[in-house]
Amino acid sequence: MASVSSDEWRAICDKFTNAQNLTVVESLNDPDNDPFRSKYKARELLREIYCSLKSFEAGEGEEESGGETGETGESGEQLPVEAPVDGQTEEAFSQGFCGDSPAGLRAAKLGAVEYYLGVNHVDTEELSAGQEHLMNSMKLLGRCRVSSENVSLFIHARNQLGILWAGRDETETAQGFLETAESIYQRYMKEDGSPPTDMADYFSTEENQLTHQERTKRFELAYTHTMYYLAQVYKNLGETERAAIYCHSTLQRQLKLNQFSPMEWALNAATLSQYYITKGRYMEGRHCLSAATVISGLAGEVPSEAAAQESETESERREQLRQKRAEIARCWIKYCLNILQDSKKLLEDSIGELDTDRQEEMKRGRRLEEEEEEKERKSAMLFGSEDTFDSIASLEEKVRCLLPMDFTEARAIFLVGQHYVTQAKEYFQMDGYVTDHIEILQDHSSLFRSLAFYEEDLDRRCKMHKRRVDMMEPVCMELNSKYYLMIRRQMMFELAETYNEMMDLKLTLANRQDETESLDSHTIKKFNNLCSASAKYFQMFLDSLCSPEGKQPEHLEEEVLRPALVARFRVARLYSRLICTSPPGQVENLDKSLEHYKYVVDYCDSHPEAVATVETELELSREMVGLLPLKINRIKAKIPANN
Amino acid sequence: MAGASVKVAVRVRPFNSRETGRNAKCVIQMQGNTTCITNPKQPKDAAKNFSFDYSYWSHTTAEEPGFACQRQVYKDIGEEMLLHAFEGYNVCIFAYGQTGGGKSYTMMGRQEPGQEGIIPQLCEDLFQRTGGNADPDLNYSVEVSYMEIYCERVRDLLNPKSSLTLRVREHPILGPYVEDLSKLAVTGFPDIRDLMDAGNKARTVAATNMNETSSRSHAVFTIVFTQRRRDQMTGLDTEKVSKISLVDLAGSERADSSGAKGTRLKEGANINKSLTTLGKVISALAEMQSNKKRRSDFIPYRDSVLTWLLKENLGGNSRTAMIAALSPADINYEETLSTLRYADRAKQIRCNAIINEDPNARLIRELKDEVERLRSLLFSQGLQELLQNTMNNSSPPAPPSSLQQLALTANGIAEKDSSAPSGAEAESASDDSPNELMDDDEEEPISKEEAAERLLETEKMIAELNETWEEKLRKTESIRLERETILAEMGVSIKEDGGTLGVFSPKGTPHLVNLNEDPLMSECLLYYIKEGFTRVGQQDVDIKLSGDFIKEIHCVFVSENTEQGAVVVTLEPLIGAETYVNGKQIEDAVVLKQVEDTLNILF
Repeated sequence: MASVSSDEWRAICDKFTNAQNLTVVESLNDPDNDPFRSKYKARELLREIYCSLKSFEAGEGEEESGGETGETGESGEQLPVEAPVDGQTEEAFSQGFCGDSPAGLRAAKLGAVEYYLGVNHVDTEELSAGQEHLMNSMKLLGRCRVSSENVSLFIHARNQLGILWAGRDETETAQGFLETAESIYQRYMKEDGSPPTDMADYFSTEENQLTHQERTKRFELAYTHTMYYLAQVYKNLGETERAAIYCHSTLQRQLKLNQFSPMEWALNAATLSQYYITKGRYMEGRHCLSAATVISGLAGEVPSEAAAQESETESERREQLRQKRAEIARCWIKYCLNILQDSKKLLEDSIGELDTDRQEEMKRGRRLEEEEEEKERKSAMLFGSEDTFDSIASLEEKVRCLLPMDFTEARAIFLVGQHYVTQAKEYFQMDGYVTDHIEILQDHSSLFRSLAFYEEDLDRRCKMHKRRVDMMEPVCMELNSKYYLMIRRQMMFELAETYNEMMDLKLTLANRQDETESLDSHTIKKFNNLCSASAKYFQMFLDSLCSPEGKQPEHLEEEVLRPALVARFRVARLYSRLICTSPPGQVENLDKSLEHYKYVVDYCDSHPEAVATVETELELSREMVGLLPLKINRIKAKIPANN
Repeated sequence: MAGASVKVAVRVRPFNSRETGRNAKCVIQMQGNTTCITNPKQPKDAAKNFSFDYSYWSHTTAEEPGFACQRQVYKDIGEEMLLHAFEGYNVCIFAYGQTGGGKSYTMMGRQEPGQEGIIPQLCEDLFQRTGGNADPDLNYSVEVSYMEIYCERVRDLLNPKSSLTLRVREHPILGPYVEDLSKLAVTGFPDIRDLMDAGNKARTVAATNMNETSSRSHAVFTIVFTQRRRDQMTGLDTEKVSKISLVDLAGSERADSSGAKGTRLKEGANINKSLTTLGKVISALAEMQSNKKRRSDFIPYRDSVLTWLLKENLGGNSRTAMIAALSPADINYEETLSTLRYADRAKQIRCNAIINEDPNARLIRELKDEVERLRSLLFSQGLQELLQNTMNNSSPPAPPSSLQQLALTANGIAEKDSSAPSGAEAESASDDSPNELMDDDEEEPISKEEAAERLLETEKMIAELNETWEEKLRKTESIRLERETILAEMGVSIKEDGGTLGVFSPKGTPHLVNLNEDPLMSECLLYYIKEGFTRVGQQDVDIKLSGDFIKEIHCVFVSENTEQGAVVVTLEPLIGAETYVNGKQIEDAVVLKQVEDTLNILF
């Protein structure tokens, strides 16, 4: 082997630098019709390096079985594509040359060139040839024990093979390579842990050797990639749980090694929180969100409006920072909303009211849960660097991650959610961000709805629903249905339901206060107003399904089938509940009611496929279609008597 | 009628010279609506089948039976979309596929008889139909815009002056729009062709300057088509505006070696190499988890401009078609398969706005009780007979119009006191001690600066609405000149534009836009307020409104031109006629200033 200082060696180092430059920098400027020009040039240089290395070896009388590998490029396409199996980690640590022996170093250098040739072929879409080079690299290394001289190459080569096999839909093979890389890393860090030689170091002159710090950084980054590739492999295998863990560790490592851009990292963590919250894992979700908020703060202050007007970069930065922070706020809203809704699901009885027995039972089970939480928190994968740990933890303390069990607990979560609603709306204003703004309003409304569930005071509960109406009604009316038809339908339906809910609450309240007497005229008026308002919005929803000429659709689209029939059913019910003292008025209302029940029945009769979606409603509608005429006739019978 | 899903077509082209040179084999077969692709590497594997609304076989020559020519593709897709545009729908045609897949042939085609693509045929057809209009009260106008979306930036391709990147926004009344995007008036297909040509040049020039590849950018060409009808009785104009968007979606290009520019829509087992794509992986993971029926999470947009674009065309009241261009060659198998998969998924795209209904368990229980009550009543009073009579004869079925009456009544009840439920509530709310919980979130009054900014935006919009056709054409002309100058400086040549322009249109005036509660009125009506008096009411008025609470003459707008050339509009309500401005009932005449944001006037 030529000494590290010889001219020949220097020439090799220059060639290598050149090849790297061609691959990384020059290739970006390659024209569309010759996209791999620089990479092909780099390939030639790498081959020359390979030959020179071999000739040094020959001079020293070493035999080399993989000698033809430099030439495999052209014949590569014909190679059979068979999934190889990666060697065992155990062997890699116990057998073969010492990494720092001359033979070991030679193998590592040749292996590195094979590695670069492999990557080069893969990049230029010659996968089979690339695979062969990478496998040669593995073979060369296979004769060495893992040590600080070659461990980096061990990992890199396996990362590349992982990508390669995943691209061929051979996910399990990819998994094999990547998992071996993972265990090699772990074992190396446990047994040695010194900063390993980077592959670039093999071909750099003494004065250009990397610092220990830089070596560690590059090595850790390679392993971060292993984690990231494994996350994708598990995702593709459908193992979402494991995929999430690996995404989580990727994020954790980026933070720990200070290899991240704050806003991007924060947004990724916030997105991961959404995975956790839909899984009901609120502790992890909260941790991701708290970290997201803290790390997004590292991206700096939002430039002032004045500064934004001065320069376009500032203006763009302002836009970006505000948008991303608002998006993180929206992830927080979902956290609060989901946790409230999940606990509501657990605590409600068959008609959606708070089940106090269940509540007691849950509260008793709570102490255990709290201890559990403490334990889990210690073992969980925590984010943070020395200076962010504390701020993340203190943000976490602001909201609980256990399901709320009573009004006080629910209210605390509600308030946090509402805080983020305000924050998100600052950026996502109605004017400019209609759909986003409304989605936030809908979440705000849902927060109120969930909170109302815990509220025992019916009057206050009613006011919470009133707040929902107040935030949605004007918006729903303002929107142009040509552009926002779908969103308006959602709002109409929700408004109808909310008025309905208020109506029920008013009645319960009135009955409670005055059990002996009948309702006073004031209450009746209020009740009827709420009832009509609810019917009005259901009707608006139904009208929105009509053709531009106002014709009822003969066939209801799948996504509106149930809502449309349910709206009919509920309008029917609402008309029969309107309080009216005059019998003719009563008859009129009941006629309308009957009309709507009939629609449900007739529609299902002519569209049997609809039956399954509204079974209960249909059954009751049939009953009512049979029974209501009786009631109507009874009232009618009274009319002449009164006259 | 939204919710109609996207129409999807695929089209396979002949081999190109490169493919012929490499002795490519055809891996695509079509039968009826089904497209079939065989894996050249695993020929023994079963071929993959996809079915679409249309599968166009344009691989061979026109002589061969089953060959789909340009005319046929237009007849099937373009014409239908044009008809929807005349009905007032927004329509959109997406073209997708690998570069060289034949996208531009399908969309633009060649300037030879029988070779024109969808766009030229559609424009030709549009102007032919409008040109044949003999109705003096019906007026058409056509404007176009052309923009490019690249790396989350929007660029105006028709106005070289706006080098800035534009912002996509949504307005509550005017819908989604691109701020400051120029809309140029056109009078015939040659105008459109020239503009497209100029835009394509701008696109190419920019791409070259910035070392971008156009194949990674999306381009959106929009034709805004306005049908204006003058009512002879009232002298008022109503407008029906529809947008025809032609979207060239970036192909599923080879991502660069780092994978960082992975704009590919490709699915599959590929691993993203660069950590910059971590966000995509996590979003995909969260999306896999989320429940499609009832979305309970928020996944931050990664591609917000494209999302906006799709939202506009898939989320509202619009009709959408998608054409995927396919290469037939074995060497492009992977890309073609991913294009097919993408098209297959496009079939499923529907509006994702789902109605989340509350559980109605309580209602059901109540109703069951009522059913029981009525039943027992029935038997206890021995009214079986009565019931039978009811079923058999008497109680006349509701008149056929009852549904409409019901709608009216339902609206009537609510309208009588449109503030009624809130009014009823307000009483009880006002005398209760303020609830801290509720007060946390009171809307903050907007600051002066914000108000000024909103005002500016609104004014810009109103100015645009008020622009007369002449002004639009003048603007178009001046932008054209600028564009030509700038393009000329860049060394790009421009064809002489010889079209004569001059279409009559009413003078720009202040106007009202209706905000109908009724979603059926999916059109935006414009009522112009002319100089002098404009009366609003039920009878003998300039603006006729109907409704229980609209008086014969309800209120009057007075429009005056000041010396400064500004227009001042005063609104005078008549006694007993409830008129609201921005939610406040007014008793006396009020000067309406544009300063007050978009005015919300309620009669």
